[in-house]
Amino acid sequence: MASFTPYTYIQCPCHDTTTTTTTTSQSRPAEDAPSPTSPHSSDDDDDDHNFDPRAPRSNYSLYPLEYLLWCDVCHQIRCPRCVAEELVTIYCPNCLFEVASSSLKTEGNRCTRSCFQCPICIGPLAVQSLESAPEPSLLSADNANTATTPAGPWILSCSYCNWNSSEIGVKFDKPQGIFAQLQKLRHGEDSHSKHAVGGDTSPTKTDSVAATMKARFSAMRSFYSAQNAIANPSSGLGDYGFSSPGALSRIMSIYSGNNAGSHKQKSKGTMTREADSASEGFRALDLDDSSAVSQLRRDGWDSTVIGDQAKSQVEEGARFAEELWPIPYLLRTKRSKRCPVCRHIISKPESKVANTRFRMRLVANTTIPSISIKPFNPPPALLKPLQPVQYLLTFRNPLFDEVKVTLATPATTPGRFASRVTVLCPQFQMDPSTESGMYLVDDALKDDNKDIQGRRRRGTEGGTHQAEAGKIWERGHNWVTIVVEVVPASLSLEAPPALLRKEGEPEPDLSPLKEDEDVLEIPMFVRLEWEGDVSHDQMSTSTGKEKDAREKKELAYWCTIGIGRISQE
Amino acid sequence: MSRKQVKGEYIETDTGNKVARKAILIGTQHIMLGGKTVIQAEAMIRGDLARTAQVPSSSGAAPGSNTAVAIGRYCFLSKGCCLRPPGRIYKGSFTYLPLRLGDHVFIGEGTVVQAATVGSHVHIGQKVVVGEFAIIKDYVRVLDGSVIPANMVIPSFSIVAGQPARIVGEVPEGGHEAFELRELYKSVGNNPQPLPV
Amino acid sequence: MSSSNKRQSVLPRMPAGPKAPVNFSSSITIADSALLAGKHTINIGSESVVHPRARLDSALGRITIGRRCVVHERTSLGAAPASAPASDPTILNTQGGVTIGDYATLEVGAVVEAGGTVVGEGCVVGIGCRIGSGAKLGKHCTLTPLSEIQPGEEVPDFTVVYSNGTRRLDRRGITELKHKAQARQIEVLKRLIPSNPTKFQ
Repeated sequence: MASFTPYTYIQCPCHDTTTTTTTTSQSRPAEDAPSPTSPHSSDDDDDDHNFDPRAPRSNYSLYPLEYLLWCDVCHQIRCPRCVAEELVTIYCPNCLFEVASSSLKTEGNRCTRSCFQCPICIGPLAVQSLESAPEPSLLSADNANTATTPAGPWILSCSYCNWNSSEIGVKFDKPQGIFAQLQKLRHGEDSHSKHAVGGDTSPTKTDSVAATMKARFSAMRSFYSAQNAIANPSSGLGDYGFSSPGALSRIMSIYSGNNAGSHKQKSKGTMTREADSASEGFRALDLDDSSAVSQLRRDGWDSTVIGDQAKSQVEEGARFAEELWPIPYLLRTKRSKRCPVCRHIISKPESKVANTRFRMRLVANTTIPSISIKPFNPPPALLKPLQPVQYLLTFRNPLFDEVKVTLATPATTPGRFASRVTVLCPQFQMDPSTESGMYLVDDALKDDNKDIQGRRRRGTEGGTHQAEAGKIWERGHNWVTIVVEVVPASLSLEAPPALLRKEGEPEPDLSPLKEDEDVLEIPMFVRLEWEGDVSHDQMSTSTGKEKDAREKKELAYWCTIGIGRISQE
Repeated sequence: MSRKQVKGEYIETDTGNKVARKAILIGTQHIMLGGKTVIQAEAMIRGDLARTAQVPSSSGAAPGSNTAVAIGRYCFLSKGCCLRPPGRIYKGSFTYLPLRLGDHVFIGEGTVVQAATVGSHVHIGQKVVVGEFAIIKDYVRVLDGSVIPANMVIPSFSIVAGQPARIVGEVPEGGHEAFELRELYKSVGNNPQPLPV
Repeated sequence: MSSSNKRQSVLPRMPAGPKAPVNFSSSITIADSALLAGKHTINIGSESVVHPRARLDSALGRITIGRRCVVHERTSLGAAPASAPASDPTILNTQGGVTIGDYATLEVGAVVEAGGTVVGEGCVVGIGCRIGSGAKLGKHCTLTPLSEIQPGEEVPDFTVVYSNGTRRLDRRGITELKHKAQARQIEVLKRLIPSNPTKFQ
């Protein structure tokens, strides 16, 4: 069994859509929010309903600290699921060449230069010439430089699995613009008509629809939108869609089978039809597999296509290895992220591909303390049931102010196997990080007299230092370590004897252990209080004159701490 | 784990590089270390595979000043890793081209790097093989056991894994500080400071 | 900076002592810090190159390297088999050593176990590969980095082993090109690596 690394996942407040934060100076996301009617109130407040990390829903709101962003207008955590993203730059991940967003619509979302992936192993393909450079010994020194530029036909070759495009019989005339040459080779000269088919279905283009999915899709879409226009002439029904009450009632009457006012029903039936020719995007499957079967018999199992290879192809339906074409690279994006509530930009990268800086980057680990977990004594690989184990939780404060931390955990973990959890010191203060020269000042002070309180103490006093309730374990210049004791539950699946079972209690769940049900996870409610500078944003009233005004700020969230796996004995 | 050795395990240069005595550096005149770089024991750098002189009439003497391996600041080369310049046939003859590492590059144990360039703030795990002429841009994390095929380009902020390596994720915005290697630099050497908790 | 008698602690201990009997062709390039040991003969064909810190151990059998081969650093030819073959735990096939065909390339950290192992002509054994005892690689095979060949396995000619053990056939037909490229590489390596065959003879 792989070793278990303890983790901390923090819950984003976006999981509960009934929560809205209106004030900026105070953030109380979870406690006063849920209405009694909401069926999902089990996630929030710490009074009746504790956060259950095992609930299927909570999986989608838990993130490690690095993934969380921070909106400093709302003073709230934002997660990758709730932020609104916008494209800043689109580029090819292989040639790192920027692509304009307008050409995204016309040319698609793949690189149109010479970047391809090997269809067999998804490695990068390089353009190589078939001819080798002539031997230098046969040339005199003058000709050596000029004659070494090879001019033979070009192929794409993979340096990892040694595939090259001559295995499918594809060779190129020039080493640039491979995408266009490949399109021509693959789809014949119809590649030009593919672009024009986008809008109209003029009668001269019957049966000249290219075999690509894009061409068939656009032909079919234009056919069906034409059919739709015939079926719903613009009497106000089709145009307005579902927004007008007249349309709604008409549609409801169709569903209820009520023939009261539906004259148009019959006329619809006769005028429209399905697509049935190639120009309308229809393609009949060739059900005669005999050629495929005989090829299979001839070439054997190794000539067929693996499922992953077929899925990563651009066009579907490849069955044999010689039907596999090189795959153009999918374009990649740089995105800027906005808070969904206040539309403030949280993260914005530079638009140049080569520049890795960010114009804005508001991340949660500048505000929220990071939690790291270490066992008290060297841990066994698996936790033994019913034996108390102690863990050290270290909170590191990134803010430049003192923070008061309050922790709360339910006495037993939720889920089928309830382990008992005790936080020995649920309330403590953390010192601020030093502002400038965090490293230099840190070292200087550490060497002098902070050593007494600093890290060294752990090593020298290990055994004698007892964990006491209400006291912190250790404190450093901006971090605090406390002790958490857990008693893992026993994983045995026995029903309690019938005598002990109360009336009306549901049957005990004796199904075998589900995946990860043996992991000991502690849900913990963290509340931070600190005094920060007055935030000068649009929401606050003008207090510009008081420069040193301190404002009480607080933030609270749920997090899940994964401690370890319980052994199944 | 304190060792009472007469000589320290590392040689510390005046630019702050910490090179283990058991590290294997061949062709040191072609190796450039940026400063504050740690090279642990058994790490191997092939500086002798340098670019050969362009002028064909030069006698067989190795050229003095061209760099085979250039390493930036705060890099960390773990035990048993190997840095080797990539080579290919260029204009009819076989030449080695320089290998360049950026700043804050962590190379895990047992890893072999034959890339053309590695950007800054890159974390390469253990037992990774980086193929020849691969280009790794900044802020990339390569997970343990990956095999990066030759000529692959890995764009910034990617997480890469697999054999052959594929991009499996993106580095989150909050993860940039995790690539900094200043603390790790301080934690090795002849007077190690313990890592922050 | 590195002393030449340094052992590598990750590999099993080499028996210190008398030099291995060698049979070198006159035109080979063998680095000073290559590690040769064992009691059987080590033969190296003409124009082959052995990089520094390559380890050739003939304790379990004779090592034969063909012509124009390149053996990179930290390789280990003739290593003791890691584990006995599952079918026959008592017999470790220690007859026969290692045979490497002409134009082969063994990249950094490759391990070729002793026991009648044959690496065919023109093979490219990638970085960190492990070839089990008694395996026979056909001609012009390619093993991508970190592949493993089980002991006793026979790999047909022109096979490419990639991506966690998948196999396919290489149909490039460029064996001549590869040979020429290898010859050019060897020319350059001859100049870059100071050769010292007399140290081992």
